[in-house]
Amino acid sequence: MASILKVDTLTGVTTAGSISVTGEGNSTTTNLQQGLAKAWMDLNGSGTIALRDSNNIASVTDNTTGDYTASYTSAMGNANYSALNSTGVTGVITASTRQHTIAAGSYRLEMNETGGAAADSTYVHLGIHGDLA
Amino acid sequence: MASELRVNTLKDAAGNNSIATSFVAGGSAKVWHHYNQSGTLATVDSFNVSSATDTADGTVRTSYTNALANLGYAVSGSHNLPSSNTASWVTGFDNSADFTTGQVSCSTFNAGSGRVDATKSMMAIHGDLA
Repeated sequence: MASILKVDTLTGVTTAGSISVTGEGNSTTTNLQQGLAKAWMDLNGSGTIALRDSNNIASVTDNTTGDYTASYTSAMGNANYSALNSTGVTGVITASTRQHTIAAGSYRLEMNETGGAAADSTYVHLGIHGDLA
Repeated sequence: MASELRVNTLKDAAGNNSIATSFVAGGSAKVWHHYNQSGTLATVDSFNVSSATDTADGTVRTSYTNALANLGYAVSGSHNLPSSNTASWVTGFDNSADFTTGQVSCSTFNAGSGRVDATKSMMAIHGDLA
């Protein structure tokens, strides 16, 4: 029978910040909090930068060409988290991204074209996995 | 006391923001790993990682505590560079014998110098647990 749980907050019983979710194979469990992306964004970094969509991103700063800092609404617990970023530059087949500065409250990344020139990117994608403060 | 809740859909208390629990399980990262490969390999922080092995310049094998169900999972990542360099940089996974349901090797590349050890390498896995 289908069921719906209406709730604003999920909290673990044994440990508040730890809830197990049964995985797709119906046997192994995974940690809900550890697996959730804590922040993500889809940014248009060309011209006047603009977020298309995001979660837990308070603001994005356009530092210079191809160089952006995303600040979190709720900070991470430390700078030990794992960041995933990618880029798409209109008219450029291959582009790449690089971490610049990692902090609990923000993440700075750079974009460039093949050959090394910094480039504003029309698609700046970022995902953050780790521990919230 | 531990408890188990079986439910198909989660909503907020107002009945909005509905999400199926299948999306919660399917959309969560099953592994993430932040490591420093410069010098002696060191895991900075991780989730569902049993061990990490430095197999070559710029290449680290990450093994999982709980295996994935099949090879149809997604690997993504990023890395910094040990020094300033204007060449392009890419994080990729090594599609070799190291790519199994229990482990994957990720490499960090610099267009100017090939595989390089990075001080901040990060990867994550999305897919189905076994």
